[in-house]
Amino acid sequence: MGTDFLSITLSLLEGFETTCTLFGLTLLFSLPLGLVIAFGSMSKFKPLSWLCRLVVWVIRGTPLMLQLFVVFYVPGMLFHVRIFSGEDGRFTAALVAFVINYACYFSEIYRGGIESIPKGQYEAAQVLGMSKWQTFRTVILMQVVKRILAPMSNEVITLVKDTSLARVIAVAEIFFVNEMDYLSRGLVWPLFYIGAFFLIFVGVLTLLFRFLEKKLSYYKI
Amino acid sequence: MAFLEVKNLKKKFGNLEVLRGIDLSLERGEVLAIIGASGGGKTTLLRCLNFLEKADEGEIVVNGNSVYHAEAGKRPEVSLEAQLSFGLVFQQFNLFPQYSVMENLMLACKLREKKMKRTSLMKRCSKLLFKAGKLCRKVKGAKGGPAEPIEGAPKPNDIRSRATELLKTVGLSDKANAYPCQLSGGQQQRVAIARALMLSPEILCFDEPTSALDPELTGEVLKVIRSLKGSDRTMIIVTHEMDFARSVADKVIYVADGVIVEQGTPEEVLVNPKNEKIRSFLSVLKKDDGES
Repeated sequence: MGTDFLSITLSLLEGFETTCTLFGLTLLFSLPLGLVIAFGSMSKFKPLSWLCRLVVWVIRGTPLMLQLFVVFYVPGMLFHVRIFSGEDGRFTAALVAFVINYACYFSEIYRGGIESIPKGQYEAAQVLGMSKWQTFRTVILMQVVKRILAPMSNEVITLVKDTSLARVIAVAEIFFVNEMDYLSRGLVWPLFYIGAFFLIFVGVLTLLFRFLEKKLSYYKI
Repeated sequence: MAFLEVKNLKKKFGNLEVLRGIDLSLERGEVLAIIGASGGGKTTLLRCLNFLEKADEGEIVVNGNSVYHAEAGKRPEVSLEAQLSFGLVFQQFNLFPQYSVMENLMLACKLREKKMKRTSLMKRCSKLLFKAGKLCRKVKGAKGGPAEPIEGAPKPNDIRSRATELLKTVGLSDKANAYPCQLSGGQQQRVAIARALMLSPEILCFDEPTSALDPELTGEVLKVIRSLKGSDRTMIIVTHEMDFARSVADKVIYVADGVIVEQGTPEEVLVNPKNEKIRSFLSVLKKDDGES
């Protein structure tokens, strides 16, 4: 039992590291990409906004698991190129799928937030001679951040748990690593162990979001 | 030529003609009150002057410079100078909620200064590159020119002291570090007035500045506006406060159905109007006053 516990903990930590990296990198890329897609779908140039909305519809309308398979296998099957080979390649494929998927969800949250800012804020900035970009950067963005904090925390917490889907293309995240071990030996407790990892991770995130909310509570919109 | 000239301004929203040819002129330092029933086009006129709406047709001339000229549905781009020659105080204040009072006042000036610095830096860099190019060709004879001062940009200290001074003018020196949500409506509107003054607009416009306020708070705002009336501050005020219009305005126009129905001194328009429409409009207002 003692050696079991130690070896499982070690392998779990390894998987946990992959989970964390996937989570962090997905956020790093999908947060800005989501903003770009949000701008695209709000664009006055109709073809661009249609394209963005189509992409969002497809990505939100199909299972993430399917998207993982598509990103990983389709380039090779259609064009006979192996972009995602080896362990790193699998990880990259998972990352690409996650980034695209989450960027689309984020884009809708951004869009809702941006469109909820009263027109008067833009007008006030305009008569003060501020450019569109200055207005967005200095006036609108912080108000949007405050408004979307709650839906964002939802989405980010979902991402933590969605990372476990990466196992379908054999990325060695926390689940994958453990399954090997415990299934062959008929152990049940590692399942709860994994659950505890996720709970702690999400708990930390919840505290972080609460802290941010408090930080932004000095003003009302 | 008058300081502000508006010629044949027209604006349509879809099929609805909101402005059907507005002509008006104003001397420097004059205060103009625009009155009229809702839906008559007062606010649209003010918004066209501030380029929040672009007029479909007509010309706006400030101090001899044509700042906006639309012809046959072709609406020109608005230059920054044109935009900044007008200032606007909104009915709903529209302060930036995440910034303190002081930051609200300084934000636009600071951004402007940053931009100017950047462009002048770029100019200097390109000049330097040009000189370097020459240098390479000539090999010798290098001489660094004196550093050029940044033109027209106010210094940060100037911005802060100016903001402090304007806060004093509107009587809110003690609220410099407060956030808009901590202020009453009247205080917010006074901050908005100070913010509009930060960029020293040639013409300051007010869009029903007291309509969103509780009655007991209108007085403080009107007092501030009254105090701004000075030798060369030109102001245009859309208002339903007839007593205020009468006491502060040099000129009053009555707008209905997108045209100026009557214009003249406050006495002429508000006390002895020639037009039947105005008489009934004024009497309705009076009746409302009597009831409340």
